[in-house]
Amino acid sequence: MSVLKLAGPILLIACLLQKLPAYSQPSRLITLTEVNVTLEKALQDIHQKTGYTYFGESDWTQSGHLVSFSVRKGTLRQVLDSCFRGQPFSYEIIDSAIAIHPRPQKEMLVHGWVYTEKREPMAGVTVLVRGESGAAAITKENGEFIIRTHYADDRLLFSSVNYEPQELKAEEGRDVVVMLKEKVGELSDVVVVHNGYQDKNRKGSTGASDVVGTELFDRRVAFNILDHIDGITNSVLFNKNIVAGTNQSAITIRGRSTIFANPNPLIVVDQFPYNGDISNINPEDIESVTILKDAAAAAIWGAFSGNGVLVITTKKGRLNQAPKLSFTTSQTIGEKPDLYYQPVLSSADYIDIEQFFYRKGGYAIPLAGFSHNALAPAIEIFDQTTKGLLSPADSATKINALKGIDDRKELSKYFYQGSLNSQYALNISGGGPRNQYFLSSGYDENKNNLVRNLYKRITLYGNNSYLLLPGKLELTTGLGFSTSKTYLNNAGANIGYPYAHLADANGNPLPINFGLKNSYIDTAGSGQLLDWHYIPLNELKNADNTIRLIDYRINISLRYIIRKGLEMTGYYQFGHGDSTGNNYQSLQTYNTRNLINLYTQNNNGLYTFPIPKGGILDEQRNAYTANNVRVQLNYSDSLFHRGLLNVIGGAEFRDLAGEDRRIRLYGYEKGTSGSIAVDYVTQWTEYAFNVKSRIPYFDLNVDQAERYLSYYANADYTYQGRYILSASGRWDESNLFGVKANQRGVPLWSVGGGWILSKENFYRMKWLPFLKIRVTDGYNGNVDRSTSAFTTAYINPSGNSYGAGSATIVNPANPSLRWERINTFDAGLDFSTRSNRLGGSIDYYIKSGQDLIGFSPLDPTVGLTIFKANTANMVDHGIDINLHTNLDLGLVKWNSVLLFSYVRDRVTEYKESIGPVVTYLNSGLISPFVGRPLYSVYALHWEGLDPQTGDPRGLLNKTISKDYASIVNSPNLSDLVYMGPASPPVFGGWRNSIYWKKWGLSWNIVYKMGYVFRRNSIFYLQVYSGASPGHIDYKRRWQNPGDEKATDVPSLVFSPDKYRDNFYQNSTVLIEKGDHIRLQDVQFSYDIDRSVYSRLPISRIRLYLYANNLGILWRANHAGIDPDNVSGIPNPKTLSMGVKMDF
Amino acid sequence: MKPSFCIRELLLLLVMGVLAGSCHKHDFLDKPPSTDLVVPSTLNDFQNLLDNDQIMGLVPALGEISADNYYLAYEFWQSLGARVHNAYIWTPDIFGGEGNVEDWNFPYQQVYYANVVLDGMDNIKTSSSTMADWNSVKGQALFTRAFAFYNIAQVFAPVYDETTAAADTGILLRLHQDVSSRSIISTVKQTYNQITGDLRTASGLLPSMVSMTYVNRASRPAAQALLARVYLSMRKYDSARLYADSVLLSNSSLLDYNSLKLTVPTPVGKQNVEILYQASFVNYVDKQILMGYSYPDCFIDTTLIHSYDTNDLRLPIYYYSIGVDSFNLKGSYAGSVIPFGGLALDEVYLTRAECKVRAGFITEGLQDLNDLLSKRWKTGTFTPYAAASQAQALDTVLLERRKELAFRGLRWTDIRRLNKEGANIIPSRSLNGTVYTLAPNSYLYTLPIPPDVQQLSGIKRERH
Repeated sequence: MSVLKLAGPILLIACLLQKLPAYSQPSRLITLTEVNVTLEKALQDIHQKTGYTYFGESDWTQSGHLVSFSVRKGTLRQVLDSCFRGQPFSYEIIDSAIAIHPRPQKEMLVHGWVYTEKREPMAGVTVLVRGESGAAAITKENGEFIIRTHYADDRLLFSSVNYEPQELKAEEGRDVVVMLKEKVGELSDVVVVHNGYQDKNRKGSTGASDVVGTELFDRRVAFNILDHIDGITNSVLFNKNIVAGTNQSAITIRGRSTIFANPNPLIVVDQFPYNGDISNINPEDIESVTILKDAAAAAIWGAFSGNGVLVITTKKGRLNQAPKLSFTTSQTIGEKPDLYYQPVLSSADYIDIEQFFYRKGGYAIPLAGFSHNALAPAIEIFDQTTKGLLSPADSATKINALKGIDDRKELSKYFYQGSLNSQYALNISGGGPRNQYFLSSGYDENKNNLVRNLYKRITLYGNNSYLLLPGKLELTTGLGFSTSKTYLNNAGANIGYPYAHLADANGNPLPINFGLKNSYIDTAGSGQLLDWHYIPLNELKNADNTIRLIDYRINISLRYIIRKGLEMTGYYQFGHGDSTGNNYQSLQTYNTRNLINLYTQNNNGLYTFPIPKGGILDEQRNAYTANNVRVQLNYSDSLFHRGLLNVIGGAEFRDLAGEDRRIRLYGYEKGTSGSIAVDYVTQWTEYAFNVKSRIPYFDLNVDQAERYLSYYANADYTYQGRYILSASGRWDESNLFGVKANQRGVPLWSVGGGWILSKENFYRMKWLPFLKIRVTDGYNGNVDRSTSAFTTAYINPSGNSYGAGSATIVNPANPSLRWERINTFDAGLDFSTRSNRLGGSIDYYIKSGQDLIGFSPLDPTVGLTIFKANTANMVDHGIDINLHTNLDLGLVKWNSVLLFSYVRDRVTEYKESIGPVVTYLNSGLISPFVGRPLYSVYALHWEGLDPQTGDPRGLLNKTISKDYASIVNSPNLSDLVYMGPASPPVFGGWRNSIYWKKWGLSWNIVYKMGYVFRRNSIFYLQVYSGASPGHIDYKRRWQNPGDEKATDVPSLVFSPDKYRDNFYQNSTVLIEKGDHIRLQDVQFSYDIDRSVYSRLPISRIRLYLYANNLGILWRANHAGIDPDNVSGIPNPKTLSMGVKMDF
Repeated sequence: MKPSFCIRELLLLLVMGVLAGSCHKHDFLDKPPSTDLVVPSTLNDFQNLLDNDQIMGLVPALGEISADNYYLAYEFWQSLGARVHNAYIWTPDIFGGEGNVEDWNFPYQQVYYANVVLDGMDNIKTSSSTMADWNSVKGQALFTRAFAFYNIAQVFAPVYDETTAAADTGILLRLHQDVSSRSIISTVKQTYNQITGDLRTASGLLPSMVSMTYVNRASRPAAQALLARVYLSMRKYDSARLYADSVLLSNSSLLDYNSLKLTVPTPVGKQNVEILYQASFVNYVDKQILMGYSYPDCFIDTTLIHSYDTNDLRLPIYYYSIGVDSFNLKGSYAGSVIPFGGLALDEVYLTRAECKVRAGFITEGLQDLNDLLSKRWKTGTFTPYAAASQAQALDTVLLERRKELAFRGLRWTDIRRLNKEGANIIPSRSLNGTVYTLAPNSYLYTLPIPPDVQQLSGIKRERH
């Protein structure tokens, strides 16, 4: 039904973009064999089989030739064509009759144009009339042809060397426009690299790139484009354990080459950088994804390309193609997340630790009555027992009851569910003689693993190319529209202890100890305050938090062929995205009740409420508006003999405006428009805390502008089809803040050379018929927009604590600020054996980031301790290997792809030596260390447990020490032990696909190697403060002398010294190897077409099953940890069932 | 076909578009990248910088941490990071190689902000309607810089001694914003000349009234109160009295402690009639031990506690009891658990009282003291002080000064100054049986320049 809802809009778009040509679709299939019979006999047989009668002028029965043919499962038209081939008559189907006419001999003149797929005019194409007349013509320089034929012979055959021949029906008075497809080579597939500016044949280019074609792209089932390319290409790493605040990117292409600037690859959709969330684009609309890796491939994107480029190409229709309708749907079910994955403490152990802390006096202050902050139930029971309010026997009963509760059972029941993702997509593509179109619509609905969280997306997409003047002018328009709604009602339960009951036996929600003590809540405010209890299940029920998003982009481009080999293109794209989050916190929600209570004023029994008793609405809006304009000249010509030159050059503007708005309404009731003004200025006394504070103020209104002006050129020269030279240059300028006009720009360039050795005369290796060497070098760029050449201050959005404005200086004047530059040297080898049975590529590269933005230390006396400037350098070394085999064993076809990527980054220059050692241990900081990867894992020397006390021991000044504070704060960086990189330097996959008849089976094994991670353990103070549910390592803790021989887990102590935990947490004993091999997914498919089932009403159906996140096959760590999910919960297994129908 | 004409026009249009764009490209690229970023250049921008209370309203705590108003439990002391741990027992190298000393960095950051403002003031055109604001902003910047220099000097420079000030090394005076210029060390005399000079200029520019709302902004009374404090620390008692007088002439309100609630964590608000300038101790990344009930193992000196009368309301307002003779710090004039480090009228009363007594006006001096204390004791219980001798009067005033201004960042300066007067105050610590003392006028009263500053600026200072 969701699809039906979409039918309206898609038809509307269809009407707007395109008049669809109507084609008839005969449906009955006939099998008929005739040998030397009269035409009349044949028509009688056809009449018997189909019921079609026939009539015509009388002489047809005499003057016809005898016919012989054999048609198996043919349409009526096919059978009749066979009958009338060479006859002096033609036929016409009128209702259910066959009318026979004398064949008119009237001549017609057919005029038309022939192009390549890249819309370049093709000269020298042979145009042949099929049939008796046998007329032929050759296309001119501009691809034009005129041919004389007659009505009966209206089939034209177009052929040219290296191109697939194409047959077409001609009509008088209408230009015939034909696009010829390049022949797929014997040795290696023709892979087209779309770089956003031009299309290149990969064989004939120098750059390093990868193309994920439609079939590979569609192999995975996911609603987000990026998930489709995870684990299937070289050098692209999806980072799983991203630490907030460390400027990590979810995707890296060929490692890392910046520190503080933008770390994300550029994503290009429809020729221009895409500014919205990539999940707004429906994967069903994607034709291919091109990954540009080295300087020659990516330098065309200049200052945006330092982190690599992903070019996403959308599907298009084809000229002269009957409308093809296709429908896909998939349903993906996922398991509930495994809450037992993290080995946390049992409730019994947890309470034992609480009891230990209680006996040591750890809760004396919170219990002293000075503070009203809530304490865990067990601590309250211990306290009541001590105070004599509870007998020891009752206390023991209560404690034992609590020890029996495991809140994960109820959490799993009430907060989690199996996921269900549904996808529906309908698209139609085709084209007439002058136009081609692709239209699609999609609906996605993802029921999250968290109860009450949901995502719905509707996408519409259409593009249409129209040859305004064949051979001269072409207009392309496109529209992409996406709207989604995200429900974020479940933020998980917020419980500080593991033995909470969320509901009673009847499912009634229960309050937990949270915020303030129950004893205080029950008496405070003499009935004037709102209920101050926190009930997790009611929070879940009452949450009303949604994000609505609308995103669209409009493309218009004009292509004008000035003369053969020279053309001009103009592009314009408008993009806009708007996401509005509405978090309505009704009076039932804890946050609202808590705030109202907190600001309630009691003036001698007179209660006033500075925050009105009503709901709170938090609205957050983020929007962007992008305008892109590009003008480009393309030139291609033969130079000298046997040389081919391709040059493009152009200019582009990019204007990106961003908006960031936040507003809070107090006293807001949903469904009404009113809210109530509050006094944000007065310092109110907080109820229960007696400190003064203002009512929280969140409103914000920030506008951002990014503007770029770029000029670029790119040239390729191929000589004798075997020597390739390429060069590119680009100049980018931006509105970098405060930079002097003459320093705003950066010149970037690349050069490359390629040599197809296998085409040389001296080449003898017959078993390796294709061998190519590539070498490229050049510069990509990157911008850090947060720095400025002037003394720049940030306006603190909430002002100061006196209600006045406030500003912070973010950087001092830096007149020598410039763009980051990344030099990439790449040497590569492409090869394939006969019939492409074995093929692949090997690349070695060096990426060196220069003038990277980094911090330099300043004498604190100048007023700032650090200075952000172009002072850092980094180097990446890497190897990419791609090997594939295609085995054709008759019925069985087996394809196998092995991917291997190695990339090691190293900071080569960094001015600031950060100390003490703890800064390198805190994973939330970027702490570059010269000679090490940017993201490295460091640890502290471990000298075992103290045999007397079970205290952990480390090294201080090379002697065994328990002075944890000094160890952790040591300024001597040689006290750090480097454990390894935090992200895998070696990764890849091994993908196999086996096809037998119409059955297909494919599975992907991925691996990550050579990195380490820090695992969790028991940190007592975190348990004490309720910040952590602890860890079962507690069971293995040191308890008696001698235990230190068998365990590394420190003894349980109550010490206000946070450094004891801190030391253990950062010691070498908790570092694990991250290496693992994972069975990522398995796909199983079955294709049905008319060769399998002749009465299939449509042309093709593909049925498939897809299982994802299947599990780890091997891991180096023995703790059972999934290195991709060290602190969270691994992605649950999912199973998809899908159907794809082509009509 | 005729449309080629149209195409040429279209082409022309595209080319013109590019050219037009190029002509205006500097306008196109001049757009600021974000509305929440500014290059500070207007009076409003400068006021916003000076109003950044997260940076501007902070004073060093190391002096108070080194002073004698409190003691620590041994185990707690052991758990402390190097700086506080060492400062507590006056170790010569208190930083133990660790840089990033908040007590140094924050005041110098204030100096930098003030210099950004002062460097930019001359570029602002003023009119009669903006003159008052211009004066106020400039005055605030001068005040801020002087206050920061003074605070740094109390911890990192030797106490002012008229006889040696011209030779003693003082602090690094930075008077312009340029971060690439080197820091140059001054003499103690230059340090104090800069401070008092800036403050005198500031008091001529600043508004004459203290704002009750914006108590973080300097005013003329605040500048004068600071001058009184600076001259007192220089032992120039006549000048100190002069400025204290000026303050009290315009503003002499006192907060009656009988009007405060005793049972709450922070009985005194941050905006009250006595406050001239609001500031508080820096908050350390590691432990800031002098922080209310957050650190129950930090106890108030027993002698000090015993010196408060049972009818003295300062006892329950400044402290709370967690056992016999065991008292922790409560909140203060900063309105939170972090101690107050700004300027308030009670200090001015005490300064004037001391200066009057030192000048021989014993009765007048004690009158100031009695005026203050009558607002500190339960109504009707206070018996005014009368003294037989100047020495006795001075002792009384100094004792009450310590009791009134405990944990306000003044005790360290007072010990340094009074030992120069021959008071022979010897702070001592007892830890697990070991007793540490600090001899009067020891070089340890001046802390070393932090190691990161020494390393990056190349400036070293002899200590002996």
